Amino acid sequence: MPDSFKMSNLPFSLLNEREQKLLRSNLDLGYYQKGEAILQAPELSEGVYVVYKGRVAEVDPDAEDGIEHVFMHYENEDYFGGWSAIHGTTIHNFVAEEETICHILPTAALLELMATNADFADYFQQNLSAKSQIAAQQGEGQDMAEFMLATISDATLRDPLIVNEGTSIAEATALMRETKSDCVLARKGSRVGMVTGTDLLDAVVLEGKALETDVAEIAKYRLVTTHPEDYLFNVLVLMTQQQIERVVVMDGTTLIGIVQLTDVLSYFSSHSHVIGLRLERASTVEDLRQAAKGINALIKALISTGVRIRFTMDLLAAMNGRIISKLFDLVVPDDLQPHVCLIVMGSEGRGEQIMKTDQDNAIIFRNALMWPDMEKVMQEFSAKLISFGFPPCPGNIMVSNSYWVNSVDDWTQKLQDWSLSNDGEDQMNLAIAVDAKPVAGNVALFKVARNWFLRNLHNNDIFFSHFARAAIEFDTPLTFFGNIKDKGELDIKKGGIFPIVHGVRTLALEHRILKTNTYERLELLQEMGVLGEQESEDLCEALGLFIHIRLRQQLRRADESGSGIDPTPNIIELGVLNKMDRDLLRDALQVVKGFKKSLTSRYHLSS
Amino acid sequence: MLRAIRRFKDKRTQKHGAWAHLFEKYEGKEVVSLDLETTSLDVSKASILSIGAVRITGNRVKTSDRLDIALKPPADLTAESIKIHKIRAQDLAEGIELRDALEQVLEFIGNRPVLGYYVNYDIRVLSKFLRQEFGFDLPNTAIELSHVYHDIIKWKHVGGDVDLRFDTIASKLDMPIIQRHTALGDAITVALMYVRLKHGDSSNLSG
Repeated sequence: MPDSFKMSNLPFSLLNEREQKLLRSNLDLGYYQKGEAILQAPELSEGVYVVYKGRVAEVDPDAEDGIEHVFMHYENEDYFGGWSAIHGTTIHNFVAEEETICHILPTAALLELMATNADFADYFQQNLSAKSQIAAQQGEGQDMAEFMLATISDATLRDPLIVNEGTSIAEATALMRETKSDCVLARKGSRVGMVTGTDLLDAVVLEGKALETDVAEIAKYRLVTTHPEDYLFNVLVLMTQQQIERVVVMDGTTLIGIVQLTDVLSYFSSHSHVIGLRLERASTVEDLRQAAKGINALIKALISTGVRIRFTMDLLAAMNGRIISKLFDLVVPDDLQPHVCLIVMGSEGRGEQIMKTDQDNAIIFRNALMWPDMEKVMQEFSAKLISFGFPPCPGNIMVSNSYWVNSVDDWTQKLQDWSLSNDGEDQMNLAIAVDAKPVAGNVALFKVARNWFLRNLHNNDIFFSHFARAAIEFDTPLTFFGNIKDKGELDIKKGGIFPIVHGVRTLALEHRILKTNTYERLELLQEMGVLGEQESEDLCEALGLFIHIRLRQQLRRADESGSGIDPTPNIIELGVLNKMDRDLLRDALQVVKGFKKSLTSRYHLSS
Repeated sequence: MLRAIRRFKDKRTQKHGAWAHLFEKYEGKEVVSLDLETTSLDVSKASILSIGAVRITGNRVKTSDRLDIALKPPADLTAESIKIHKIRAQDLAEGIELRDALEQVLEFIGNRPVLGYYVNYDIRVLSKFLRQEFGFDLPNTAIELSHVYHDIIKWKHVGGDVDLRFDTIASKLDMPIIQRHTALGDAITVALMYVRLKHGDSSNLSG
């Protein structure tokens, strides 16, 4: 086949030259007119189809009411029929929605390629976590930043100070002072050893060596080395394991430089430790505001450095938590702090908010607390948080709203009332509240209320069935790819993130899991055997993908908006996604769909 | 007419030869799309540079079942034809001998109908060399793409001539052109257009 087949798309790009040749020599072209079935259940599949031109819909052959249920659209180099080819027959119909030409790779050739290329085979197993890993290994450019960790050559390499054998301790110390180095490499014959400032001190002070002693004598020759393309992350691990602060970078046998622990740390956290320090040192609200303002820049730095999305989330959750608790300390008088507890809820409570999209917080105070100024102080608290760049909650779920400032008794009563109500708003309030995490004040107050609530929720099937329903409420948009030109965007919160978060929340609540983070909940649910390993991993990957793609678009829109605030934080514009993102997104939405199905049967939600 | 008489004579002389089966009536459903790149548009002067062919079955262009031959550079590879085909002598350095190429072509197409765009030209060039090497003309039925197109289009086209240029047909049929000016690429493009005309819906075509 000449150049009409694009070999650069996954998974075909995984093939080596010989395999690509085999593939090319086996491809046929099929022509289908509008409305024609390309594959029909339960027909025997011929192979994998790659759309060259046109558009194909995957539909349910058993659709009732004469309404065809479309699962998926394929166009523009998308492939389909892989599952059918491997399993023999197809269970869905594939219909040309417009005049279509497909490349067809016969099953025999597909199986041969799968036999010789394990990555290619994995990719066809339709398993999201395997796919994203393969995609990660293929990593190209900025798009793959999440999966790629920065390499040593990106970080500051220090030029080594090298001295010859015969250089005295005194001379070496002078040289180090002059070049502002804190270590020196000493040559001895063909070997090179390292002497650090501490080594010099030890030699002279503790061992009483003369200042004329040759540094080559006190150098350590067992150098820990690495190569310039190694990941910075590995260097950090190496330093931790060996309890050292410097690693020598060698390109083959050439010495290139030295990486220091401080450089690695500062590169990783970019400004994170600077911001962290400023947060800790802030003694006035104004100091705190200044520190908080640096967070958006930090997010960008983390994302472009290639720090994993989960680490980013954890770090930001920790920092936002510190900002909020610091502010609480500054605003709430010391003597009252043991009597109140500040909780954050929703995505903040789960530690999954990266860009600050809203604030959901509440106060639980000791029963019968007398604090006349409470309302005023809470108003001030909310206003200050807003001025820090935490947008106000559109649903007014903030401590400035007295509905969210409750005594322990009132709070437990509210939780109880919500859980017994069929009202949509009550259900939503409860969903937000069960993700609550205490961030300041007296944590015990929060725990009392939570534990009471969980005890009383015992085995209430009707409740769970009702609570879970929201997870399947929004349609998961698997057919949007056909409409890229018309509409070109989707609400990823409704279509992907919320169903996972809420479904996992329901399962976690049912199994009395106290963790609020969705990933941690998934891990625990898997340990308890509630979810299968594959299902749990796929859900983790899917959620990570949604959040990552959303974040990239949020950052761009925030940049473009002028105000620094993204006006449409949950929208994913499909047009700007590359082919691989679209593929992964589609698979991830497929995972969501499967999860909703299993929720439906678990909680008897048949709509 | 002349071609029919020659063919009749050839069939008789080849009756007991190695190529007798080429003269039998074709009973199958396949068609072979064929294209030659040559050094001249004048049959008597033309040498063959490369030959591309694919089989067509139903709605399927069997690109896995194809012929893609480059011949040894002929003495007359001129600058003019290089301009048309962008084939330079060095591209053909690895090519095979004319006689081998012709054998492969006959083997590949058998007695199937031969499809092409201005296919008579290709058939005449092939015949010139076949007669020289084996003593007969290519006997296969010819299918002319522009005729197939014209037959379908003319009903919607009142008055005037139908534009039968290759690129026009391709764009009217909304078919992609695959590697223009390579023998195999053109053979595949023609095959796709043929499948589109035979198999597709013609109601949305306009003159």
